[in-house]
Amino acid sequence: MTPAFEKLQKQLKQLPGLGYRSSERIALHLLVEKPGQLPVLVEALQQAALAVKRCPRCGNLAEGGLCAICADERRDAGVVCVVEHVPDLVAVERSAAFRGVYHVLHGKLSPINGVGPDDLNLKSLLARLATGEVRELILALSNDVEGEATCHYLTQHLPADRAVKITRIGFGLPSGGGVLYADSVTLKSALEGRRDYS
Amino acid sequence: MRLRKLNLRHFRNVDLATLDFSGRRQFLTGANGQGKTNLLEAAGFLTALRSFRATDNRLLIGQGQAVAAIACELEHERLGDTRVTIKLRPDGKELWCDQERVTRLADYLGKFPTVVFSSQDLQLVRGSPAGRRRWLDLTLAAMDASYLRALQTYTKALAGRNSLLKRGGASDQELSAFEQVLAPAAADLIVQRTKGVRELAATLKAAYAQLCDEGEPGALAYEPDFAEPSAEVLLARLEGGRARDVQFRATVAGPHRDDLGFSVRGRAAKDFGSEGQQRSLVLALRLAQAAWFQVRSGVRPVLLADDVLGELDPARRRRFWAAIDAESQVIATGTKPPDAELGAWQLFAVADGTFLENPPDMEAKA
Ligand SMILES: [Zn+2]
Repeated sequence: MTPAFEKLQKQLKQLPGLGYRSSERIALHLLVEKPGQLPVLVEALQQAALAVKRCPRCGNLAEGGLCAICADERRDAGVVCVVEHVPDLVAVERSAAFRGVYHVLHGKLSPINGVGPDDLNLKSLLARLATGEVRELILALSNDVEGEATCHYLTQHLPADRAVKITRIGFGLPSGGGVLYADSVTLKSALEGRRDYS
Repeated sequence: MRLRKLNLRHFRNVDLATLDFSGRRQFLTGANGQGKTNLLEAAGFLTALRSFRATDNRLLIGQGQAVAAIACELEHERLGDTRVTIKLRPDGKELWCDQERVTRLADYLGKFPTVVFSSQDLQLVRGSPAGRRRWLDLTLAAMDASYLRALQTYTKALAGRNSLLKRGGASDQELSAFEQVLAPAAADLIVQRTKGVRELAATLKAAYAQLCDEGEPGALAYEPDFAEPSAEVLLARLEGGRARDVQFRATVAGPHRDDLGFSVRGRAAKDFGSEGQQRSLVLALRLAQAAWFQVRSGVRPVLLADDVLGELDPARRRRFWAAIDAESQVIATGTKPPDAELGAWQLFAVADGTFLENPPDMEAKA
């Protein structure tokens, strides 16, 4: 193949779930079989890169302003489900068991990997708690040491003058596994059976 | 249980080998460095998917090979005739039990007990606490997934707290976040170690008495860094020790500093024991481990004796063999075959990673 083709294939192979074969197939598909799709894809990528930002309130994906969930008035803004990553939010949404809103930390405390509180989307969560509109915080962080430590860290930062109920889901989740890997049924029962935490 | 067939491929220096075991006594003989110990290492790997001498499984894969495999057929008290296959790759391992893939270690642990008697075992008495903790952890985790889980949680939370301490400048809240995970796991470890060592110590005492003269009792004791298994008390202790730990840039106290103490007639064997007493203690420890595995799993362990018999005087050797049940399978290695009085052994000669059953010159000697 040509140098430019190999460069493209190399980039595609970096994407999650793609190995050598599948990245080669996609590259061939785009360049040889359906070259008409290419400009559309390039434009979509550019637009997304420019437009998609973090929701200023919760850290979810958004375009200019609040994300679709924060902007939805039918959602209960008093119940906040804290997750590590956007795909975890998607997993909880898919369970269709949750009518509150979210907060995406974009990580968890991990001193070994140099991730501290300042590297997480924490300040905006504390700001949300300070407003007093949050009644319940559901900690849906992964069921491992770093997820647990992040939960403990969060609970120490709750404003003392506000009564916020804290629950943790971890029930039914495979030990050491993230929320993402739990199926919808497991997540639904985990949400319904959440236990008090503090 | 009894190993009936052991098949190795690209395991250390063994390119390909199939050994058919008949009866319950196998002896592998050959010069050092030929692969005798490698075979015992492979058999011992069955128990907890850990090597008794290497911490990095990559060392087990033959040079230039992508995958090593251990396959064995065994007679098993609970499972009947069973086939276990383990594949080792540089980035992980795969496990099959009777053609079914096993993905959770918890489903596997405790089923296939083996105990290795190694010439390195003397270090358990003489060496550093780290070696004794590693033995204790491997022994308890081999039979109990909940111990393994507590150990992994403790180790990860400790690594988190230690890296905060090492870097410096962490807030009390950040340290506290990891302490709150660390303390319950520490309490769990202390409870399980206390119970495990109590049971092992009772068996060790009996085994030592079989090996040695009466009137010089040998004993094993758990020497915890902190004895009270209460998560609240441990948490307070971690908080109280923060200033000191910040100074040392590491967590100074906790179960990662636990130790085991061996004694003979109430005196520390490490400092006051004779070499013979120390050797008897580690043999008794391995016998205790075997007995404990059998009680815990309901399965008779396979005993893997790596070159340990040559170092014993004839009297102790006889007592050692008398302490071993005829029903237990023993796979032993050494530079020369065992005394004829110890019964009939199936002999294998080992040279350059190959195994030859019933070598002609051996038969002449036997
Ligand atoms: Zn939002």
